[in-house]
This record gives sequence, structure tokens and C-alpha cells, in this order.
Amino acid sequence: MVLFIAFALQLQTAAAQNKQNNPKLSDAEVASVAVIANQIDIDQAMLAKERSKNQDVLQFAETMINDHKAVIKQASDLVQKLGVTPKENAVGKQLQADAAKTANMLRTKSGSAFDKAYVNNEVAYHKAVISAVEGLLIPESENEELRNLLQSIVPALNAHLEHAQMLQKQLNQK
Amino acid sequence: MKTLKLLPVDLSLFGLLLLCTTFTPVAGVQPTVHTIRISQMQFNPATLTVHKGDTIVFVNKDIVTHDATEISGKAWKSPALASGDSWRMAATKSAAFYCSFHPVMKGKIVVK
Repeated sequence: MVLFIAFALQLQTAAAQNKQNNPKLSDAEVASVAVIANQIDIDQAMLAKERSKNQDVLQFAETMINDHKAVIKQASDLVQKLGVTPKENAVGKQLQADAAKTANMLRTKSGSAFDKAYVNNEVAYHKAVISAVEGLLIPESENEELRNLLQSIVPALNAHLEHAQMLQKQLNQK
Repeated sequence: MKTLKLLPVDLSLFGLLLLCTTFTPVAGVQPTVHTIRISQMQFNPATLTVHKGDTIVFVNKDIVTHDATEISGKAWKSPALASGDSWRMAATKSAAFYCSFHPVMKGKIVVK
């Protein structure tokens, strides 16, 4: 749980700092962070498919894989159209490092403990990503199409968050 | 003196017109086609009122795949609709429905 909170706080802090400072990410870097953030959720969902036996959790994980793949495809098509090459940056690297720690923690759990840990992480992760997209990535995007794409994925992220919270409630009642 | 020439295409159009005239019911209400657009993770309209026998077309304009599933999961369910796909059904009775991939997305069909 400490990892989720640390990760969420980090993204939210980055978003909050952005409101005060000048933009620090180029469009190429924003695109890279967007792809990494989606890929992290796909990877966690793949782990859930390996370790969970709960049908609701498995179906949620499948949806996360399909939806985030669709978003990555949209982002990839757009950067190709714009002639932008996603550029690695400190924010993306930090996200990957934190995600690796979360994955290690999840691998130590099984059964209902895994399901709860995975779903708790999904709630925290989606809250953090929504905050980062709205407070950091959208304001940092100079290209209108990139900004529009980021705005268009916020409803999906909110639906994922609500779905994860619904599952969290179910699992906590057991 | 000019002569009226009927090209094959004119004749086929004339035939089509004749068929329509012959087989279109004179009385009775024509079924209406209604569209439910899926975008931004919502069914729009979320509540649709139709007459029995009307056609409802679900059109997915979202980035991600959706479906439309009757709430009990037993009466009817669309196939998975990828972005750009559509699916049509005849309205027979009122039903609540949702997206089985995103259970927070809900809608309602009211058959009058």
C-alpha cells in the first residue's frame, strides 16, 4: 500500500508543481509518458491474469489490457501522423521504476490477498493517472491533436476508476 | 424530332419504383430506426423511448471496444463492438442494459 500511495503522491506532486512552474515536457516527452502510463496498466493486468482466479477481477484485467492497448494505438497513430518520436524522460523512467516495485510486491501475494492488492493498486493508479493527465500532460501539450487525444481518454480512465472502486467494495465485503 | 431514349439504368429505376409502390403497405406505421451513439464512455441517449418493432442501432464512436448487454444477461447481448462498429436489434420490450466491459455504463430502452 505504501508503494501505491508514494506513486500516487509523486504523480500528483508533479501535476501540482506544473501549475506553478513553466512547462517542462515537450510533446515528444508527453507522448512517451502517456504510452508508458498505459503500458504499465497493461503489464499489471497481465500479472492479474496469471495470478487471479476471481472472474470479476479477470474480466476487469482483460478490459484494462484491451482499453489501454487501444489508447496506445491511438497515441502511436497520432505521433506517427505528427512525425513526433516519443522521447524518454525522467517522469517516464520514474513511473517504470515505481511500477516495477509494485509488480514485485504483487508477486508476493496470492488468492484473495492478491485480488485486493491488485484492485487497490488499480484504484490508486487510476486516480494518480487522471490527476497527471489533467494536471500535467494536457497542460504541457502544445499540439492541439495531442491535447485532444489526452482529453478524450479521461472518460475511459474515470470509468476504469469507478469499475475498480466497485470491485474494491465487492472484495472488501468478502 | 427528338426521341425519348430510355437507358437501362432508367428502366431499372422505373422497375424499382414500381416494386416499392406495389409492396409498400398502404396503412400502418413504418418502423422507425433509432440510433444510440456510444462515445466518451456513455450511451447517448441513455434512455430511449421507442415503439414495438422499431429498430435500434448501437454505434460505437469511442476509442475502446464496448457492447450492449440486457441487464440480466439473458434476453439479448450485442457482439463486442470495436471502434466504428455498429449493431442493430428490433425493440420488443422495455429493458435496462449496460456495457459488460465497463459495468458503470448503463442505459434504458422504453417500449411504448
